[in-house]
Amino acid sequence: MFYDLIPHLINGVALGLLFALLALGFMLIIGVMEVINLAHGALFTLGAYGAVVMMAPDGGFPYEFMQPYYDLPAIPRYVIALIVGPLLAGVVGMGLEVCLRRTYGADPLYGLLLTFGAALVIEEVIRGIWGSSEYYLPTPKEISGGFIFGDLIYSTYRIYAAIFASVMIGMLWLFLNKTPYGAVIKAGAHDSEMVRALGYNLKVLRLLVFGFGAALAGVAGVIMAPIWGVRPVVGVDAVIPAFVVIVLGGVGSFWGAVSAGLMVGIVVALTAAFLTDWSLLSMYLLLLLVVTFRSRGLAGKASVLEA
Amino acid sequence: MDYPTKQTKAWVTPQIVVAIVLFGTMPLWIEAVGLYQYLGVEVIIWMIFALGYNLLLGYTGLPSFGHGAFFGIGAYAYGLAQFEVWPNLWFCLAAAVVVTAAFGAATALFLSHRRGIYFALMSIAFGQIFFFIASKWTDVTGGEDGLLDIQRLPVEFGAMSLSTRSNVELYYLCFALFCVLVILLWRLTNSPYGRVLRAIKQNEMRVSFIGYKVSVIKWSVFTLSTAIAGLAGGLFAMAQEGAYINIMSLQWSGTIVLMVLIGGGFVSFWGPVLGVILYFVARDVLGAYTEAWLLWFGLMFMLLVMFKPEGLAGMWRDLLGTLVTRKAEPKGNPAKVEG
Repeated sequence: MFYDLIPHLINGVALGLLFALLALGFMLIIGVMEVINLAHGALFTLGAYGAVVMMAPDGGFPYEFMQPYYDLPAIPRYVIALIVGPLLAGVVGMGLEVCLRRTYGADPLYGLLLTFGAALVIEEVIRGIWGSSEYYLPTPKEISGGFIFGDLIYSTYRIYAAIFASVMIGMLWLFLNKTPYGAVIKAGAHDSEMVRALGYNLKVLRLLVFGFGAALAGVAGVIMAPIWGVRPVVGVDAVIPAFVVIVLGGVGSFWGAVSAGLMVGIVVALTAAFLTDWSLLSMYLLLLLVVTFRSRGLAGKASVLEA
Repeated sequence: MDYPTKQTKAWVTPQIVVAIVLFGTMPLWIEAVGLYQYLGVEVIIWMIFALGYNLLLGYTGLPSFGHGAFFGIGAYAYGLAQFEVWPNLWFCLAAAVVVTAAFGAATALFLSHRRGIYFALMSIAFGQIFFFIASKWTDVTGGEDGLLDIQRLPVEFGAMSLSTRSNVELYYLCFALFCVLVILLWRLTNSPYGRVLRAIKQNEMRVSFIGYKVSVIKWSVFTLSTAIAGLAGGLFAMAQEGAYINIMSLQWSGTIVLMVLIGGGFVSFWGPVLGVILYFVARDVLGAYTEAWLLWFGLMFMLLVMFKPEGLAGMWRDLLGTLVTRKAEPKGNPAKVEG
């Protein structure tokens, strides 16, 4: 019985780590800018579309000069897609940060509303460029398909996604905790005025952190694309579990987000194994259960954002 | 930047009279300005929804991103009450209000201790829970197809019975409810209770130091605003002659926020009314030229948040302010609204 559930468990881990990646990007932005970025889902979608352009001729530019590029083997194109998708999300994110500058110091509600408007705009632009139909992101054959181990079928891509996401999370942790840049970002989250007083350019710091957080959403979008497909509204499906992960893990806690992500992913995947239609409800029940007893989530601390 | 600090004891103000005259005559001139009667029905229902929502967003400063769910619950409750219990207008509308308020009150238990980001994210989660259940529980809600064949029930007063079948007749039913609601909400927001709401928006902790039970007040205002959302939802089910899942989505929950803010719900009682009108007129006018009208509306919204977060009502007040200062002596600034 337990043995049969292993493939579901792996799906859950892959899903959960991707939710955690989204949540971590979101929290970086909250930490330094004190902005709830409701456009995070739209940036996720943008990353996925960026990758589609670099991978699939039918979702890409139908121009003559692009043809030699599309003739390249799949792996280099996939690597480029993995760079271009997050880059696109990151650049748009930086643009959004420039718009957000006017709301700093005002009621945090305005930042939240501005990003909500931006989400609407990004989604409509995506519709305008790519239409409303669904795209599929092809992957190199090395990481697609499935294999049989024991007497169960495993999806290669899900295992790849789980490994990729855990590597990303590990690198992010190293970046935040073992490099001077990470130290500045964490200090900015703690007290941005003090960081400025120490001579760091706060404007540039905010721009880069927003871009970085957006790029993390883009990465999650590219990795998720072959699993969920690429539609203009796919971001909403991804960002809501990420919000649940944030509340569950507690705002501002790195390992809180990762463990909450794993919990959500595994609970959703295991419920899906028995009750496909109701799988997402289990996530919300988990949320209600946890916040009833721990109002700031598993590892959250009191923060300025509650004011 | 805030609502005028002066409180009034009046039940009816000049603005309310203007609104009643304007909306009371709307069916007479709406076609003359190139629009259509059904739009008037939509506008007045959404105004009811928006006025109730602004109690939460504008007055108390609680950004609920799941309010569309309550609007939807009201619509379903109206439909189910009519199909399963008693097809009487007053009963069905009351059912819509009571059922929605019950769901709202239960939700508010989880939300009333929260603020800021936790409030916003939890409200999204609750909105999604209701959306999700409504979309999957097909036996009750009809799932993706929705509840069809909801009737526009007649208004019954004893032996008298008024039809609401045509759009104009339905409009006047909604208008009557709108008038009652506007006066009640006007009194409420100018009452001591309204003052406490505004104080909570400014500094929750200080309000609790004074001795108010902040979470009880937040619970009550959330429940009240969901009850109004339920009323609007019930009317919307009549207007659409059906109840559909899409109004419960995150997209629509966000749209109500957008309407309220764009109209200036943060600085004026009338902000939500202006915002709803702007939204629906923009939808019809811009929508006639381009399919991507939401793109332009979204851009307009972003610019407004960046440069004029007080919205239409704020612009109007600035306009009045410049006119007044031009007349008044130059040294004072009498038009400036006290924060």
